[in-house]
Amino acid sequence: MLANNLRTHHVNMVVTTSKQVSNTKHPELCVWLQDVAIERDKLAFSKLFKWFAPRIKQFGIKQFNNEAQALELVQETMTNIWRKAHLYHKDKGAPTTWMYSIMRNMSFDMLRKLQTQRTETISDDIWPVDNILVSEDIDNFEDHLQNRELKALLEYLPEKQKQVVVGLFYKQVTQEQLAQQLNLPIGTVKSRLRLALNKLRQLMGESDD
Amino acid sequence: MIKHHPTPALLLAFTQGQLGASLSIAVSAHLEHCECCRHKVLALQETSAQYLDDDVELDEWVDNEMIAAITDDDYEIHPKQSMPLRVNLKGHEYTLPRALQSVGLSNWLKLGKLARAKVDLNEGEVHTNLLHIEKGGTIPLHSHKGFELTLLLAGEFKDEFDTYVPGDFIWLNDANTHSPSTENGCLCLTVANNSMHFVQGLSQVLNPIGKLIY
Ligand SMILES: [Zn+2]
Repeated sequence: MLANNLRTHHVNMVVTTSKQVSNTKHPELCVWLQDVAIERDKLAFSKLFKWFAPRIKQFGIKQFNNEAQALELVQETMTNIWRKAHLYHKDKGAPTTWMYSIMRNMSFDMLRKLQTQRTETISDDIWPVDNILVSEDIDNFEDHLQNRELKALLEYLPEKQKQVVVGLFYKQVTQEQLAQQLNLPIGTVKSRLRLALNKLRQLMGESDD
Repeated sequence: MIKHHPTPALLLAFTQGQLGASLSIAVSAHLEHCECCRHKVLALQETSAQYLDDDVELDEWVDNEMIAAITDDDYEIHPKQSMPLRVNLKGHEYTLPRALQSVGLSNWLKLGKLARAKVDLNEGEVHTNLLHIEKGGTIPLHSHKGFELTLLLAGEFKDEFDTYVPGDFIWLNDANTHSPSTENGCLCLTVANNSMHFVQGLSQVLNPIGKLIY
């Protein structure tokens, strides 16, 4: 099951630290969320909907392979955003991260219900809301490359891919910095990262059969 | 100090909601103990969310009826208060991980120094259990046909590889055999996709027990 999950996995990974995540790429999202939270502003909500709903639908179709369920995911996620907007604080991270986590939680509970007929919602217990929001000190944590299992997995990667994973994930330099250090185009760093993550997932998948 | 952590690939799959409930609960319980992995998950979450920013080609789509239905009420959701379950085993009171607070647990089945409760997740061949080993208890040398994840929640135990502390996330596959033992007792969360198989002489008669406790 894990193996299957990992294979059907939708990934579009760009590893950077919180500092590089632009709060400003979609500043209007913050404003709309605030208007929804404070004024229960329906117009602001419909703007949020226009921006986010097609993205949720696309994610849902990949996840469930079924349009009706994708629409249910849109409804569940947008309902939660309407009801939880007051919990979002812009100093705690990008609005897209917050909305992503709500979509992820809804999708998890829906998928679990479909696959196991268990109807308790447990996603909010697994990813508590305080955990979702607090993201200070991301640059300050110690790495634990000493983890022998992890080290062993990295050894399966070609040297060039390993370099990128170690740089981005463990040393926490940005993609731009790493591209400069290695004297590579940024696109090459991104594609090596994508290959490396695919390989790591494959290794994980293989280890459970 | 915690030495055993989920792999980066597992943390990524966790963050993106791609693991089943059993492994998601186990990773979440590890995060309660491990600040380092908590930070990693937050970083992975921010980067996973970035694909939302990509200017992909999307069909313009809006559903005014859905918007009207959603905004029709003013109900606000406030975060659920964390109410972790507590269990009392052999005079020890244990607080269970938050991720287990809404799922069903079976009654405890006791076998000598072992006791186990099944976590009701209905994930087919993947079984999740709480396993308590009383002080001085041992599980005879065994292997698994699939994988076996042990997350130490409280107490200590050791096996052929290491000595473990609460939060240690110990992943074994069918190439590993081990025999955990505890001096002072421990409580673990285990996830395995097959029953354990005892490999040594007399303890082979324990194989039916292996089916019970995992
Ligand atoms: Zn950890």
